[in-house]
Amino acid sequence: MPLVVKRLLAVAPTVLVVATVTFLALQVIPGDIAQVMLGVDARPEDLARLRREFGLDRPLVLRYLEWLGHLARGDLGTSITYREPVARLIVARMPVTLSVAFAAMVVAVAVALPLGIVAARRAWSPGDLAVLAGSQLGLAIPTFWLGILLLLGLAAAVPLFPLQGYAALSADPVEWLRHLTLPAVALGTERAAALVRLVRGSVLEEMTRDYVRTARSKGLAGAVVLRRHVLRNALIPVLTVAGLQLGYLMGGTIVIEQVFGLPGLGRLLLQGIYARDLVVVQGAVITIALTFALLNLAVDLLYTAVDPRITYD
Amino acid sequence: MRPTTPRGPAARWRLALLVLAAALAAAGVPAGAQTPRDRFTFALSGSPDTLDPQGTAATLAFQVNKSLFDTLVEPDDEGRIVPSLAESWTVSPDGLTWTFKLRPNVRFHHGKTLDAGDVKATFERIVNPATRSPKRSDFAAIRSIEAVDPLTVRFVLGERFAPFLATLAQGWGAILPADLIARNHEFATRPVGTGPFTVAEWQRDSLIRLTRFDGYWIQGEPRLREVLIRFVPESAVKVAGLLAGEFDAIDAVAFLDLPRVRANPNVRVIRQVTSLVNVVAINNSRPALRDVRVRRALWHAIDRRQVLRTAYGEESVPVNVFMDVVSPYYVSIPDPYPYDPERARRLLSEAGAGGLTLDLALPQPYPAHIEAGQLVQAMLQRVGITARPRVVEWGFWLSRVFAGGEYDLTIIGHTGKLDPDGRLAGYGTPSRNYVRYENPKVEDLILAGRITTNPELRKRIYAEALKMMAEDAPMVYLGTPVLYMATRQGVRNFRQLYAIDTFDFRKTTK
Repeated sequence: MPLVVKRLLAVAPTVLVVATVTFLALQVIPGDIAQVMLGVDARPEDLARLRREFGLDRPLVLRYLEWLGHLARGDLGTSITYREPVARLIVARMPVTLSVAFAAMVVAVAVALPLGIVAARRAWSPGDLAVLAGSQLGLAIPTFWLGILLLLGLAAAVPLFPLQGYAALSADPVEWLRHLTLPAVALGTERAAALVRLVRGSVLEEMTRDYVRTARSKGLAGAVVLRRHVLRNALIPVLTVAGLQLGYLMGGTIVIEQVFGLPGLGRLLLQGIYARDLVVVQGAVITIALTFALLNLAVDLLYTAVDPRITYD
Repeated sequence: MRPTTPRGPAARWRLALLVLAAALAAAGVPAGAQTPRDRFTFALSGSPDTLDPQGTAATLAFQVNKSLFDTLVEPDDEGRIVPSLAESWTVSPDGLTWTFKLRPNVRFHHGKTLDAGDVKATFERIVNPATRSPKRSDFAAIRSIEAVDPLTVRFVLGERFAPFLATLAQGWGAILPADLIARNHEFATRPVGTGPFTVAEWQRDSLIRLTRFDGYWIQGEPRLREVLIRFVPESAVKVAGLLAGEFDAIDAVAFLDLPRVRANPNVRVIRQVTSLVNVVAINNSRPALRDVRVRRALWHAIDRRQVLRTAYGEESVPVNVFMDVVSPYYVSIPDPYPYDPERARRLLSEAGAGGLTLDLALPQPYPAHIEAGQLVQAMLQRVGITARPRVVEWGFWLSRVFAGGEYDLTIIGHTGKLDPDGRLAGYGTPSRNYVRYENPKVEDLILAGRITTNPELRKRIYAEALKMMAEDAPMVYLGTPVLYMATRQGVRNFRQLYAIDTFDFRKTTK
């Protein structure tokens, strides 16, 4: 498919820009890996020695080009703090973050879609107002706080769910689901709150269209009109936003991974920043950027499935 | 609009959801139940970066490594150095030659028997620049290492270095096997030592599962079959897990959570005075702060007990010298500058420093220091000093405040070291300490302490230096906080070695 190829080619410069900005940003913020590693025990001569051994004393441009050269060969480098290849670290963490992001998206869509449709059908009724108020609340509650509340209630006080950690899907699907439930609810609630407004607005807008009036005047039942005609059209913007949100969730899991002790990409990234471990940060950011771009592409391709009028030539 | 949606599919979905919820809840039953007697679950605040003991300087790494490796010597509960892999040792009269007799029949996890070659290879690895060890300079005094016979190893130092023995007892003195070093083994993820446990599973940032090493050199130890260390950054989650019985022990209880934890009959709180000294550091190179009267005025202005009580916990102990109270090198002197705002104002006006405005940098990862900073700000306000607090990220604090000296005041805790030289080295020499404190006499005393091996003489030297420092008030010493850990009621011998800030599970039972 030429479109896919074209779009894939467009991903490369995006990733390059992201990589460059990350590289430069990490040069600008104060502190380097040697400093963080030695902490308050740092003696000036030790700092100088470690910087030399880590290659931090070489010119910026040289280090950048070298890293880029490795990247082009698919080598993300070896972390100084972890003493492990970054690619290995990322591969171990991708399933965790993808699982959390997808599960949160499932929660968000499962909550937002029915609620948004019901609210739109009964616009400005008490039920609709309750949904709107609930959405406001959902947006206002910080995810980490909701996460801690869920943990204290459903993992500690009533031990229905595990308190911390992650179980691989391949090892035990039930455990995998149990470990994901609370993080997905915590993270998905906020996304649902945002999405429900979009669903409601979009459905409301479609329902005022002429074709809806025509369908009704043909004698079609309200629910059939909604299902066959309104939803198809109303869901296109929802799909776009949901797709983008999935990408957003890839980076947005940082906080929730911290609360639930999930060994995901977000935590790797955060620790990489704290430790000033450039190769780890670069690797994680590039992975997130790449996933984001690929998800976007997937959403674009999905349009054609939802709306046959959309074609890419 | 009439609801005309067919009922069938919706009902089926509801049923499916109910079944799913029930299945998840049923699978969740064991979460709060007791774990088996020989399996111990410990919640630790963070994850090690690497399991290579020579590749890190992180406390969290050594807290795990202690169970995987042994050192030639180790600290006991009082911080005294006692034999471990070395049965005994002698020092030559000039203090330059250290000879260690190794314990026979000690095995590494992969089966090899420990000999002098392993010790030699270990320390040659850490001083090798290719290892890129952050702790290499601790061993800079070593000139040569010789395997005299299979169980005797001799270190020859290039200069007298009294902290040498203490250095060998630290986590980065862990002994690795020579054959794997030669093969460039990846210790970072597959550690092999002589320690009481081996790694069965490691999920970075989540958990590490240690299982008993049956060939451990101490008969009958470790007593646990498995230690599961979970890395739990959120303190609320740690406490909840302990109270629910999911964790057998947790590494720290925030002092605000203490009443709740103490009220639970199934849980025991362990109190341990730490080796930390928390201070309000003063940049002695700033023109206004160069005057000792101004620095003393800061002491008089700050109600140290109030700061300790509110920010660091009721039981924190004030210190009057720059040494932790549990150290054998601590000297007890009366509070040199008791809380007295009136006197502070007088000293400030004598020094012509009325209406002073000072920057107060507070490190973001430490909420307690930030809280202390707010109290200090209010106290300084009362004597006419305007402190401008700014909270800074840790990397920023390290590079700009600590290394760069871009601050007037900052609040930080100094961790203890097994040897007093670790805490004091560099003070007196302005370019070698972050408060830019200058006093050639103190500098000389600290250098003398470094090469003095006679313990009594050493104590006297450091006591002198500590008193002189108190006189100069290069910083306001606040005090030593108490660390609270907690275990389930049945846990015995959960050991925390304050001197090297690590945990020892060898004798632990539950």
